[in-house]
Amino acid sequence: MKKKVKIKVSNLHEIGLLIALISVLLIFGFSTENFFTQRNFMSILRSASYVGLVAFPMTFVLITREIDISVGPAVAWSGVFFVILVKWFEFNYTFAAFIVLAWGLFLGYFIGIARTKLMIPTFITTLALWSALRGYSLFITEGRPLAISNKPFRYFFGGDVLGLPTVTWIMLMVFFIFWFLSKYTVLGTNIYAVGGNPKAARSIGLNVDKIKIITLMITSMFSALVGILFVARVSSGNSTVGEGMEFDVIAAVVVGGTALGGAVGTMTGTLLGVLFIAMISNGLIHWGIDPDLNKVVKGIIIFLAVVINSNVTFKKNSGNKEE
Amino acid sequence: MSILKLENISKSFGAVQALDGVNLSLDAGEVLGLMGDNGAGKSTLVKIIAGNFKQSSGSISFENQNVEFLKPMDARNKGIEVVYQDLALCDNLTAASNIFLTREITKSFGFIPILNFSKMFQRAKDIFKELKSETLPEEEVRMMSGGQRQAVAIGRTKLSQAKVVLLDEPTAAISVRQVAEVLELIKQLKKQGVAVLIISHRMPDVFAVSDRIAVLRRGKLVANKKANESSPEEVTALITGAIESA
Ligand SMILES: Nc1ncnc2c1ncn2[C@@H]1O[C@H](COP(=O)(O)OP(=O)(O)O)[C@@H](O)[C@H]1O
Ligand SMILES: [Mg+2]
Repeated sequence: MKKKVKIKVSNLHEIGLLIALISVLLIFGFSTENFFTQRNFMSILRSASYVGLVAFPMTFVLITREIDISVGPAVAWSGVFFVILVKWFEFNYTFAAFIVLAWGLFLGYFIGIARTKLMIPTFITTLALWSALRGYSLFITEGRPLAISNKPFRYFFGGDVLGLPTVTWIMLMVFFIFWFLSKYTVLGTNIYAVGGNPKAARSIGLNVDKIKIITLMITSMFSALVGILFVARVSSGNSTVGEGMEFDVIAAVVVGGTALGGAVGTMTGTLLGVLFIAMISNGLIHWGIDPDLNKVVKGIIIFLAVVINSNVTFKKNSGNKEE
Repeated sequence: MSILKLENISKSFGAVQALDGVNLSLDAGEVLGLMGDNGAGKSTLVKIIAGNFKQSSGSISFENQNVEFLKPMDARNKGIEVVYQDLALCDNLTAASNIFLTREITKSFGFIPILNFSKMFQRAKDIFKELKSETLPEEEVRMMSGGQRQAVAIGRTKLSQAKVVLLDEPTAAISVRQVAEVLELIKQLKKQGVAVLIISHRMPDVFAVSDRIAVLRRGKLVANKKANESSPEEVTALITGAIESA
Protein backbone atom coordinates (compact mmCIF):
# COMPACT_ATOMS: atom_id res chain seq x y z
CA MET A 1 0.00 0.00 0.00
CA LYS A 2 1.26 3.42 -0.88
CA LYS A 3 1.16 6.03 1.80
CA LYS A 4 0.00 9.47 0.84
CA VAL A 5 2.50 12.16 1.70
CA LYS A 6 0.56 15.00 3.24
CA ILE A 7 1.90 18.39 4.15
CA LYS A 8 0.10 19.48 7.26
CA VAL A 9 -0.87 23.09 7.81
CA SER A 10 1.53 23.25 10.76
CA ASN A 11 4.39 22.17 8.48
CA LEU A 12 3.39 24.80 5.95
CA HIS A 13 3.63 27.42 8.65
CA GLU A 14 7.06 26.19 9.69
CA ILE A 15 8.34 26.16 6.12
CA GLY A 16 7.02 29.70 5.61
CA LEU A 17 8.68 30.82 8.79
CA LEU A 18 11.97 29.22 7.82
CA ILE A 19 11.89 31.11 4.51
CA ALA A 20 11.07 34.36 6.36
CA LEU A 21 13.92 33.69 8.77
CA ILE A 22 16.45 33.17 5.99
CA SER A 23 15.18 36.23 4.13
CA VAL A 24 15.54 38.42 7.20
CA LEU A 25 18.99 36.99 7.78
CA LEU A 26 20.07 37.86 4.24
CA ILE A 27 18.49 41.30 4.29
CA PHE A 28 20.24 42.29 7.51
CA GLY A 29 23.44 40.54 6.44
CA PHE A 30 23.78 42.46 3.21
CA SER A 31 22.49 45.81 4.40
CA THR A 32 24.75 46.19 7.45
CA GLU A 33 28.41 45.68 8.15
CA ASN A 34 28.54 43.87 11.43
CA PHE A 35 25.54 41.57 11.24
CA PHE A 36 27.34 38.63 9.62
CA THR A 37 29.97 38.30 12.30
CA GLN A 38 30.57 35.48 14.72
CA ARG A 39 30.33 37.91 17.61
CA ASN A 40 26.93 39.08 16.49
CA PHE A 41 25.59 35.58 15.92
CA MET A 42 26.67 34.66 19.43
CA SER A 43 24.81 37.68 20.70
CA ILE A 44 21.65 36.76 18.77
CA LEU A 45 21.86 33.18 20.00
CA ARG A 46 22.35 34.28 23.56
CA SER A 47 19.31 36.52 23.70
CA ALA A 48 17.26 33.95 21.77
CA SER A 49 18.22 31.30 24.30
CA TYR A 50 16.85 33.11 27.34
CA VAL A 51 13.58 33.69 25.49
CA GLY A 52 13.48 30.13 24.19
CA LEU A 53 13.85 28.59 27.63
CA VAL A 54 10.49 30.08 28.61
CA ALA A 55 8.92 29.96 25.14
CA PHE A 56 8.90 26.14 24.96
CA PRO A 57 6.87 25.61 28.12
CA MET A 58 4.78 28.69 27.20
CA THR A 59 3.84 26.91 23.97
CA PHE A 60 2.17 24.23 26.10
CA VAL A 61 0.40 26.87 28.17
CA LEU A 62 -1.00 28.56 25.05
CA ILE A 63 -2.03 25.21 23.56
CA THR A 64 -4.15 24.55 26.66
CA ARG A 65 -5.86 27.95 26.09
CA GLU A 66 -4.12 29.69 28.98
CA ILE A 67 -1.42 32.38 29.16
CA ASP A 68 1.30 33.54 31.54
CA ILE A 69 2.27 37.20 31.18
CA SER A 70 4.31 37.38 34.40
CA VAL A 71 7.53 36.10 32.78
CA GLY A 72 9.68 39.27 32.91
CA PRO A 73 9.00 40.14 36.56
CA ALA A 74 9.19 36.44 37.52
CA VAL A 75 12.66 36.31 35.94
CA ALA A 76 13.73 39.47 37.78
CA TRP A 77 12.41 38.35 41.14
CA SER A 78 13.90 34.87 40.78
CA GLY A 79 17.33 36.38 40.17
CA VAL A 80 16.99 38.76 43.09
CA PHE A 81 15.71 35.95 45.31
CA PHE A 82 18.63 33.74 44.26
CA VAL A 83 21.20 36.40 45.15
CA ILE A 84 19.47 37.16 48.44
CA LEU A 85 19.77 33.48 49.32
CA VAL A 86 23.46 33.23 48.50
CA LYS A 87 24.47 36.68 49.76
CA TRP A 88 22.32 37.43 52.76
CA PHE A 89 21.62 33.88 53.88
CA GLU A 90 24.92 32.44 52.62
CA PHE A 91 23.34 29.38 51.05
CA ASN A 92 25.51 27.48 48.63
CA TYR A 93 24.72 28.08 44.95
CA THR A 94 23.26 24.68 44.19
CA PHE A 95 20.97 24.72 47.17
CA ALA A 96 19.86 28.28 46.44
CA ALA A 97 19.14 27.37 42.83
CA PHE A 98 17.12 24.40 44.02
CA ILE A 99 15.02 26.63 46.27
CA VAL A 100 14.43 29.22 43.54
CA LEU A 101 13.32 26.53 41.08
CA ALA A 102 11.01 25.05 43.71
CA TRP A 103 9.65 28.53 44.28
CA GLY A 104 9.01 28.76 40.53
CA LEU A 105 7.02 25.53 40.65
CA PHE A 106 5.02 26.87 43.55
CA LEU A 107 4.29 30.10 41.69
CA GLY A 108 2.92 28.14 38.72
CA TYR A 109 0.92 25.98 41.09
CA PHE A 110 -0.64 29.11 42.56
CA ILE A 111 -1.57 30.44 39.09
CA GLY A 112 -3.02 27.03 38.22
CA ILE A 113 -5.06 26.67 41.40
CA ALA A 114 -6.43 30.18 40.96
CA ARG A 115 -7.46 29.19 37.45
CA THR A 116 -8.94 25.78 38.12
CA LYS A 117 -10.39 26.12 41.62
CA LEU A 118 -11.26 29.83 41.80
CA MET A 119 -11.95 30.28 38.06
CA ILE A 120 -9.68 33.31 37.85
CA PRO A 121 -8.36 33.67 34.29
CA THR A 122 -4.61 33.10 34.06
CA PHE A 123 -4.33 36.45 32.31
CA ILE A 124 -5.60 38.21 35.44
CA THR A 125 -3.53 36.28 37.98
CA THR A 126 -0.35 36.71 35.98
CA LEU A 127 -1.13 40.39 35.36
CA ALA A 128 -1.32 40.84 39.13
CA LEU A 129 1.95 38.94 39.52
CA TRP A 130 3.51 41.01 36.75
CA SER A 131 3.02 44.09 38.88
CA ALA A 132 3.65 42.54 42.29
CA LEU A 133 6.86 40.68 41.45
CA ARG A 134 8.51 43.64 39.75
CA GLY A 135 7.42 45.95 42.54
CA TYR A 136 8.68 43.68 45.29
CA SER A 137 12.01 43.12 43.51
CA LEU A 138 12.54 46.88 43.21
CA PHE A 139 11.49 47.42 46.81
CA ILE A 140 13.73 44.81 48.39
CA THR A 141 16.82 45.77 46.34
CA GLU A 142 16.01 49.49 46.51
CA GLY A 143 16.43 49.39 42.74
CA ARG A 144 20.14 48.60 42.98
CA PRO A 145 21.85 45.51 41.64
CA LEU A 146 22.99 43.00 44.27
CA ALA A 147 26.42 41.93 43.04
CA ILE A 148 27.81 38.42 43.33
CA SER A 149 31.43 37.44 43.02
CA ASN A 150 31.48 33.67 42.38
CA LYS A 151 33.63 33.47 39.26
CA PRO A 152 33.13 29.82 38.19
CA PHE A 153 29.35 30.31 38.32
CA ARG A 154 29.50 33.54 36.32
CA TYR A 155 32.02 32.30 33.77
CA PHE A 156 30.32 28.99 33.17
CA PHE A 157 26.65 29.91 33.07
CA GLY A 158 27.19 33.46 31.79
CA GLY A 159 29.89 32.50 29.32
CA ASP A 160 30.56 30.14 26.43
CA VAL A 161 31.24 26.41 26.11
CA LEU A 162 32.46 24.61 22.99
CA GLY A 163 31.98 27.69 20.85
CA LEU A 164 28.43 28.53 21.87
CA PRO A 165 26.93 30.41 24.82
CA THR A 166 26.30 27.94 27.68
CA VAL A 167 22.73 29.13 27.82
CA THR A 168 22.31 28.15 24.15
CA TRP A 169 23.37 24.59 24.92
CA ILE A 170 20.87 24.53 27.76
CA MET A 171 18.18 25.96 25.49
CA LEU A 172 18.85 23.33 22.80
CA MET A 173 18.61 20.57 25.38
CA VAL A 174 15.37 21.98 26.72
CA PHE A 175 14.04 22.33 23.18
CA PHE A 176 14.74 18.68 22.55
CA ILE A 177 12.98 17.64 25.76
CA PHE A 178 9.87 19.68 24.92
CA TRP A 179 9.86 18.51 21.33
CA PHE A 180 9.99 14.96 22.62
CA LEU A 181 7.29 15.57 25.23
CA SER A 182 4.96 17.11 22.68
CA LYS A 183 5.32 14.32 20.14
CA TYR A 184 5.93 11.07 21.99
CA THR A 185 4.42 11.17 25.45
CA VAL A 186 1.03 10.81 27.08
CA LEU A 187 1.45 14.22 28.70
CA GLY A 188 1.99 15.82 25.29
CA THR A 189 -1.13 14.21 23.83
CA ASN A 190 -3.12 15.24 26.88
CA ILE A 191 -1.99 18.85 26.50
CA TYR A 192 -3.21 18.92 22.90
CA ALA A 193 -6.46 17.20 23.95
CA VAL A 194 -7.12 19.80 26.63
CA GLY A 195 -6.55 22.59 24.11
CA GLY A 196 -8.53 20.86 21.38
CA ASN A 197 -11.70 20.27 23.33
CA PRO A 198 -11.53 20.77 27.09
CA LYS A 199 -15.14 19.78 27.60
CA ALA A 200 -14.70 16.50 25.72
CA ALA A 201 -11.41 15.75 27.42
CA ARG A 202 -13.06 16.24 30.78
CA SER A 203 -16.16 14.21 29.95
CA ILE A 204 -14.17 11.14 29.01
CA GLY A 205 -12.17 11.37 32.20
CA LEU A 206 -9.05 13.39 31.52
CA ASN A 207 -7.98 15.52 34.47
CA VAL A 208 -8.02 18.84 32.61
CA ASP A 209 -7.21 20.89 35.71
CA LYS A 210 -4.14 18.82 36.48
CA ILE A 211 -2.80 19.20 32.93
CA LYS A 212 -3.26 22.98 33.05
CA ILE A 213 -1.59 23.23 36.45
CA ILE A 214 1.37 21.14 35.26
CA THR A 215 2.01 23.34 32.20
CA LEU A 216 1.80 26.51 34.32
CA MET A 217 4.17 25.07 36.92
CA ILE A 218 6.75 24.10 34.30
CA THR A 219 6.58 27.58 32.74
CA SER A 220 7.11 29.41 36.01
CA MET A 221 9.95 27.05 36.86
CA PHE A 222 11.67 27.98 33.60
CA SER A 223 11.14 31.68 34.33
CA ALA A 224 12.93 31.02 37.62
CA LEU A 225 15.73 29.18 35.81
CA VAL A 226 16.21 32.10 33.41
CA GLY A 227 16.33 34.40 36.45
CA ILE A 228 19.26 32.39 37.81
CA LEU A 229 21.01 32.30 34.42
CA PHE A 230 20.64 36.08 34.11
CA VAL A 231 22.39 36.47 37.45
CA ALA A 232 25.37 34.61 36.01
CA ARG A 233 25.31 36.86 32.94
CA VAL A 234 25.07 40.24 34.67
CA SER A 235 26.93 39.18 37.86
CA SER A 236 24.14 40.43 40.05
CA GLY A 237 20.56 40.08 41.11
CA ASN A 238 18.89 42.89 39.27
CA SER A 239 15.31 44.01 39.73
CA THR A 240 15.18 45.60 36.28
CA VAL A 241 16.16 42.63 34.10
CA GLY A 242 13.70 40.81 31.88
CA GLU A 243 11.73 43.93 31.09
CA GLY A 244 9.28 43.13 28.29
CA MET A 245 10.45 39.54 28.20
CA GLU A 246 6.89 38.21 28.45
CA PHE A 247 6.25 40.05 25.22
CA ASP A 248 9.19 38.46 23.40
CA VAL A 249 8.25 35.03 24.68
CA ILE A 250 4.60 35.22 23.69
CA ALA A 251 5.47 36.90 20.39
CA ALA A 252 7.92 34.11 19.59
CA VAL A 253 5.36 31.43 20.39
CA VAL A 254 2.65 33.08 18.32
CA VAL A 255 4.96 33.86 15.41
CA GLY A 256 5.92 30.19 15.63
CA GLY A 257 2.38 29.22 14.74
CA THR A 258 0.76 28.52 18.09
CA ALA A 259 -2.82 29.76 18.16
CA LEU A 260 -3.78 32.06 21.02
CA GLY A 261 -7.07 30.16 21.05
CA GLY A 262 -5.19 26.96 21.86
CA ALA A 263 -5.12 23.47 20.34
CA VAL A 264 -2.44 24.21 17.74
CA GLY A 265 1.29 24.71 18.05
CA THR A 266 4.62 22.97 17.68
CA MET A 267 7.98 23.21 19.40
CA THR A 268 9.87 23.52 16.11
CA GLY A 269 7.60 26.45 15.21
CA THR A 270 8.39 28.08 18.55
CA LEU A 271 12.13 27.56 18.05
CA LEU A 272 11.91 29.30 14.67
CA GLY A 273 9.77 32.05 16.21
CA VAL A 274 12.34 32.61 18.94
CA LEU A 275 15.17 32.93 16.41
CA PHE A 276 13.04 35.20 14.24
CA ILE A 277 12.23 37.64 17.05
CA ALA A 278 15.84 37.68 18.29
CA MET A 279 17.15 38.31 14.78
CA ILE A 280 14.72 41.16 14.13
CA SER A 281 15.57 42.87 17.44
CA ASN A 282 19.25 42.56 16.71
CA GLY A 283 19.06 43.56 13.05
CA LEU A 284 17.07 46.70 13.79
CA ILE A 285 19.77 47.81 16.21
CA HIS A 286 22.31 47.32 13.41
CA TRP A 287 20.17 49.47 11.17
CA GLY A 288 20.53 52.15 13.81
CA ILE A 289 16.86 52.20 14.61
CA ASP A 290 15.96 53.64 17.98
CA PRO A 291 15.32 50.89 20.59
CA ASP A 292 11.95 52.46 21.32
CA LEU A 293 10.96 52.13 17.66
CA ASN A 294 12.25 48.55 17.83
CA LYS A 295 9.33 47.89 20.14
CA VAL A 296 6.95 49.38 17.61
CA VAL A 297 8.25 47.02 14.94
CA LYS A 298 7.90 44.03 17.26
CA GLY A 299 4.35 45.10 18.02
CA ILE A 300 3.55 45.15 14.31
CA ILE A 301 5.15 41.74 13.85
CA ILE A 302 3.12 40.06 16.56
CA PHE A 303 -0.04 41.66 15.19
CA LEU A 304 0.70 40.41 11.68
CA ALA A 305 1.59 36.97 13.04
CA VAL A 306 -1.78 36.71 14.74
CA VAL A 307 -3.55 37.86 11.57
CA ILE A 308 -1.71 35.23 9.52
CA ASN A 309 -2.31 32.62 12.21
CA SER A 310 -6.01 33.22 12.39
CA ASN A 311 -6.32 32.98 8.62
CA VAL A 312 -3.95 30.14 7.87
CA THR A 313 -3.89 28.07 11.00
CA PHE A 314 -6.81 28.70 13.23
CA LYS A 315 -9.68 28.11 10.86
CA LYS A 316 -8.33 24.94 9.34
CA ASN A 317 -6.31 23.49 12.12
CA SER A 318 -7.84 24.43 15.41
CA GLY A 319 -9.70 22.44 17.96
CA ASN A 320 -13.36 22.51 18.77
CA LYS A 321 -14.69 25.94 19.55
CA GLU A 322 -16.67 25.27 22.68
CA GLU A 323 -15.14 25.49 26.13
CA MET B 1 -30.62 -9.69 37.40
CA SER B 2 -30.00 -6.02 37.00
CA ILE B 3 -26.46 -4.78 36.61
CA LEU B 4 -27.32 -1.10 36.96
CA LYS B 5 -30.09 0.25 39.11
CA LEU B 6 -31.17 3.87 39.53
CA GLU B 7 -33.38 4.71 42.47
CA ASN B 8 -35.33 7.91 42.78
CA ILE B 9 -32.78 9.97 40.83
CA SER B 10 -33.43 13.71 40.71
CA LYS B 11 -31.28 16.45 39.29
CA SER B 12 -31.81 20.17 39.24
CA PHE B 13 -29.77 22.87 37.56
CA GLY B 14 -30.71 25.93 39.56
CA ALA B 15 -34.42 26.36 38.95
CA VAL B 16 -34.53 23.75 36.18
CA GLN B 17 -35.65 20.33 37.38
CA ALA B 18 -33.98 18.15 34.71
CA LEU B 19 -34.82 14.82 36.39
CA ASP B 20 -37.53 14.09 38.91
CA GLY B 21 -37.50 10.83 40.88
CA VAL B 22 -36.40 8.47 38.11
CA ASN B 23 -36.34 4.72 38.84
CA LEU B 24 -34.74 2.59 36.17
CA SER B 25 -32.80 -0.62 35.96
CA LEU B 26 -30.77 -2.31 33.29
CA ASP B 27 -30.03 -6.02 32.94
CA ALA B 28 -26.95 -7.62 31.46
CA GLY B 29 -27.59 -8.41 27.80
CA GLU B 30 -30.57 -6.11 27.69
CA VAL B 31 -31.11 -3.18 25.31
CA LEU B 32 -33.14 -0.34 26.73
CA GLY B 33 -34.43 2.37 24.41
CA LEU B 34 -34.79 5.70 26.20
CA MET B 35 -37.00 8.22 24.45
CA GLY B 36 -38.29 11.69 25.14
CA ASP B 37 -38.61 15.15 23.68
CA ASN B 38 -35.75 17.64 23.56
CA GLY B 39 -34.95 18.78 27.08
CA ALA B 40 -36.74 15.81 28.68
CA GLY B 41 -33.59 14.95 30.64
CA LYS B 42 -32.18 12.02 28.66
CA SER B 43 -28.63 13.32 28.33
CA THR B 44 -28.64 14.41 31.94
CA LEU B 45 -29.52 10.87 33.00
CA VAL B 46 -26.67 9.45 30.92
CA LYS B 47 -24.22 11.97 32.34
CA ILE B 48 -25.20 11.09 35.89
CA ILE B 49 -24.62 7.38 35.22
CA ALA B 50 -21.28 8.25 33.60
CA GLY B 51 -20.02 10.38 36.49
CA ASN B 52 -20.14 13.70 34.62
CA PHE B 53 -22.80 15.10 36.96
CA LYS B 54 -23.68 14.22 40.51
CA GLN B 55 -27.37 13.60 41.08
CA SER B 56 -29.13 16.03 43.43
CA SER B 57 -30.76 13.10 45.19
CA GLY B 58 -31.29 9.37 44.76
CA SER B 59 -28.88 6.48 44.53
CA ILE B 60 -27.17 4.32 41.93
CA SER B 61 -26.17 0.72 42.39
CA PHE B 62 -23.90 -1.21 40.09
CA GLU B 63 -23.66 -5.00 40.35
CA ASN B 64 -25.71 -4.80 43.54
CA GLN B 65 -23.36 -2.36 45.20
CA ASN B 66 -24.09 1.22 46.00
CA VAL B 67 -21.78 3.37 43.90
CA GLU B 68 -20.89 7.02 43.77
CA PHE B 69 -19.17 8.22 40.62
CA LEU B 70 -17.39 11.45 41.45
CA LYS B 71 -15.66 11.66 38.10
CA PRO B 72 -15.97 10.00 34.67
CA MET B 73 -12.96 7.77 35.34
CA ASP B 74 -14.78 6.15 38.28
CA ALA B 75 -17.55 4.98 35.96
CA ARG B 76 -15.19 3.96 33.16
CA ASN B 77 -13.10 1.91 35.56
CA LYS B 78 -16.23 -0.06 36.50
CA GLY B 79 -16.92 -0.83 32.83
CA ILE B 80 -19.42 1.88 31.94
CA GLU B 81 -18.72 3.39 28.52
CA VAL B 82 -20.53 6.31 26.97
CA VAL B 83 -20.92 7.63 23.46
CA TYR B 84 -21.84 11.25 24.10
CA GLN B 85 -24.34 13.16 22.05
CA ASP B 86 -21.68 15.66 20.96
CA LEU B 87 -19.23 12.72 20.55
CA ALA B 88 -16.62 14.34 22.84
CA LEU B 89 -13.87 14.37 20.21
CA CYS B 90 -10.77 16.52 20.06
CA ASP B 91 -10.60 17.84 16.50
CA ASN B 92 -6.86 18.47 16.67
CA LEU B 93 -5.99 14.85 17.46
CA THR B 94 -5.87 11.81 15.20
CA ALA B 95 -8.62 9.19 15.26
CA ALA B 96 -6.32 6.80 17.13
CA SER B 97 -5.33 9.42 19.71
CA ASN B 98 -9.01 10.17 20.32
CA ILE B 99 -9.85 6.51 20.81
CA PHE B 100 -6.95 5.95 23.18
CA LEU B 101 -7.28 9.23 25.08
CA THR B 102 -6.79 8.40 28.81
CA ARG B 103 -5.93 4.78 27.82
CA GLU B 104 -2.80 5.26 25.76
CA ILE B 105 -0.61 2.24 25.08
CA THR B 106 2.99 2.99 25.95
CA LYS B 107 6.31 1.25 25.56
CA SER B 108 9.52 2.02 27.32
CA PHE B 109 12.23 4.08 25.73
CA GLY B 110 15.14 3.55 28.09
CA PHE B 111 13.40 4.24 31.36
CA ILE B 112 10.87 6.70 29.85
CA PRO B 113 7.38 5.54 28.82
CA ILE B 114 6.56 6.73 25.31
CA LEU B 115 3.52 6.33 23.11
CA ASN B 116 3.35 3.10 21.18
CA PHE B 117 1.93 4.50 17.94
CA SER B 118 2.20 1.33 15.91
CA LYS B 119 0.22 -0.70 18.45
CA MET B 120 -2.44 2.00 18.84
CA PHE B 121 -2.77 2.48 15.07
CA GLN B 122 -3.09 -1.26 14.56
CA ARG B 123 -5.72 -1.67 17.27
CA ALA B 124 -7.64 1.37 15.98
CA LYS B 125 -7.49 -0.06 12.47
CA ASP B 126 -8.95 -3.34 13.71
CA ILE B 127 -11.71 -1.51 15.55
CA PHE B 128 -12.66 0.50 12.44
CA LYS B 129 -12.67 -2.71 10.43
CA GLU B 130 -15.00 -4.30 12.95
CA LEU B 131 -17.24 -1.24 12.71
CA LYS B 132 -17.04 -1.47 8.91
CA SER B 133 -15.90 2.14 8.84
CA GLU B 134 -13.40 3.58 6.41
CA THR B 135 -11.73 5.72 9.03
CA LEU B 136 -7.96 6.11 9.02
CA PRO B 137 -6.36 5.87 12.48
CA GLU B 138 -3.66 8.43 11.65
CA GLU B 139 -5.99 11.07 10.25
CA GLU B 140 -7.00 14.09 12.29
CA VAL B 141 -10.63 14.08 13.34
CA ARG B 142 -11.38 17.61 12.12
CA MET B 143 -11.15 16.38 8.52
CA MET B 144 -13.73 13.67 9.06
CA SER B 145 -17.34 13.13 8.02
CA GLY B 146 -20.14 12.68 10.52
CA GLY B 147 -20.06 8.92 10.13
CA GLN B 148 -16.31 8.70 10.67
CA ARG B 149 -16.54 10.86 13.77
CA GLN B 150 -19.26 8.58 15.04
CA ALA B 151 -17.03 5.57 14.44
CA VAL B 152 -14.24 7.16 16.47
CA ALA B 153 -16.60 7.89 19.37
CA ILE B 154 -18.02 4.37 19.29
CA GLY B 155 -14.54 2.92 18.85
CA ARG B 156 -13.67 4.08 22.36
CA THR B 157 -16.24 1.72 23.85
CA LYS B 158 -14.54 -1.24 22.17
CA LEU B 159 -11.17 -0.77 23.83
CA SER B 160 -12.12 -2.34 27.09
CA GLN B 161 -14.52 -5.07 28.04
CA ALA B 162 -17.45 -2.79 28.85
CA LYS B 163 -20.36 -4.05 30.95
CA VAL B 164 -22.68 -1.15 30.25
CA VAL B 165 -22.69 0.98 27.11
CA LEU B 166 -24.70 4.19 26.97
CA LEU B 167 -25.31 5.67 23.53
CA ASP B 168 -26.70 9.19 23.41
CA GLU B 169 -28.22 9.83 19.96
CA PRO B 170 -25.68 7.64 18.16
CA THR B 171 -27.53 7.78 14.85
CA ALA B 172 -28.42 11.46 14.73
CA ALA B 173 -25.79 12.62 12.25
CA ILE B 174 -25.06 9.63 10.04
CA SER B 175 -26.16 7.99 6.81
CA VAL B 176 -28.64 5.13 6.49
CA ARG B 177 -25.92 2.57 5.85
CA GLN B 178 -24.01 3.71 8.91
CA VAL B 179 -27.16 3.55 11.01
CA ALA B 180 -27.41 -0.11 10.10
CA GLU B 181 -23.82 -0.61 11.33
CA VAL B 182 -24.56 1.03 14.64
CA LEU B 183 -27.66 -1.11 15.12
CA GLU B 184 -25.63 -4.18 14.24
CA LEU B 185 -23.05 -3.16 16.82
CA ILE B 186 -25.75 -2.87 19.47
CA LYS B 187 -26.93 -6.39 18.68
CA GLN B 188 -23.35 -7.66 19.00
CA LEU B 189 -22.95 -5.99 22.37
CA LYS B 190 -26.20 -7.56 23.51
CA LYS B 191 -24.98 -11.00 22.44
CA GLN B 192 -21.83 -10.48 24.49
CA GLY B 193 -23.99 -9.83 27.53
CA VAL B 194 -23.40 -6.10 27.63
CA ALA B 195 -26.22 -3.92 28.92
CA VAL B 196 -27.02 -1.17 26.41
CA LEU B 197 -28.97 2.03 26.84
CA ILE B 198 -29.74 3.79 23.59
CA ILE B 199 -31.20 7.26 23.26
CA SER B 200 -32.60 8.12 19.88
CA HIS B 201 -35.34 10.12 18.22
CA ARG B 202 -35.61 7.59 15.44
CA MET B 203 -38.53 5.38 16.39
CA PRO B 204 -37.80 2.51 13.95
CA ASP B 205 -34.17 2.24 15.14
CA VAL B 206 -35.22 2.06 18.75
CA PHE B 207 -37.86 -0.58 18.09
CA ALA B 208 -35.45 -2.56 15.92
CA VAL B 209 -32.97 -3.20 18.73
CA SER B 210 -34.64 -2.54 22.06
CA ASP B 211 -35.99 -5.14 24.47
CA ARG B 212 -37.55 -2.47 26.59
CA ILE B 213 -38.64 1.11 26.06
CA ALA B 214 -38.60 3.87 28.64
CA VAL B 215 -40.00 7.34 28.12
CA LEU B 216 -38.98 10.54 29.89
CA ARG B 217 -41.23 13.57 29.87
CA ARG B 218 -40.07 16.77 31.58
CA GLY B 219 -37.74 14.84 33.86
CA LYS B 220 -40.26 12.21 34.89
CA LEU B 221 -40.23 8.58 33.77
CA VAL B 222 -43.69 8.07 32.31
CA ALA B 223 -43.26 4.62 30.80
CA ASN B 224 -41.00 1.61 31.18
CA LYS B 225 -42.26 -1.49 29.40
CA LYS B 226 -41.38 -4.33 27.07
CA ALA B 227 -40.91 -3.18 23.49
CA ASN B 228 -43.18 -5.89 22.11
CA GLU B 229 -45.99 -4.75 24.40
CA SER B 230 -45.74 -1.19 23.15
CA SER B 231 -45.88 0.48 19.76
CA PRO B 232 -44.42 3.54 18.04
CA GLU B 233 -47.87 5.16 18.24
CA GLU B 234 -48.09 4.67 21.99
CA VAL B 235 -44.53 5.93 22.54
CA THR B 236 -45.20 9.02 20.43
CA ALA B 237 -48.27 9.75 22.51
CA LEU B 238 -46.24 9.27 25.71
CA ILE B 239 -43.51 11.60 24.52
CA THR B 240 -45.94 14.39 23.65
CA GLY B 241 -48.11 13.84 26.69
CA ALA B 242 -51.19 12.74 24.75
CA ILE B 243 -51.07 9.70 27.02
CA GLU B 244 -50.18 10.53 30.61
CA SER B 245 -48.29 7.30 31.38
CA ALA B 246 -48.09 3.60 30.54
N1 LIG C 1 -25.14 21.67 32.39
C1 LIG C 1 -26.39 22.14 32.45
N2 LIG C 1 -26.64 23.30 33.10
C2 LIG C 1 -27.89 23.78 33.21
N3 LIG C 1 -28.98 23.20 32.67
C3 LIG C 1 -28.79 22.04 32.00
C4 LIG C 1 -27.51 21.46 31.86
N4 LIG C 1 -27.64 20.31 31.14
C5 LIG C 1 -28.94 20.19 30.87
N5 LIG C 1 -29.65 21.22 31.38
C6 LIG C 1 -31.10 21.40 31.30
O1 LIG C 1 -31.71 20.21 31.74
C7 LIG C 1 -32.82 19.88 30.92
C8 LIG C 1 -32.64 18.50 30.32
O2 LIG C 1 -31.61 18.55 29.35
P1 LIG C 1 -31.04 17.27 28.61
O3 LIG C 1 -30.78 16.21 29.62
O4 LIG C 1 -29.90 17.70 27.76
O5 LIG C 1 -32.29 16.85 27.70
P2 LIG C 1 -32.37 15.85 26.48
O6 LIG C 1 -31.07 15.15 26.34
O7 LIG C 1 -33.48 14.93 26.83
O8 LIG C 1 -32.68 16.66 25.26
C9 LIG C 1 -32.95 20.98 29.89
O9 LIG C 1 -33.89 21.94 30.37
C10 LIG C 1 -31.56 21.58 29.86
O10 LIG C 1 -31.62 22.95 29.51
MG1 LIG D 1 -29.70 15.10 24.78
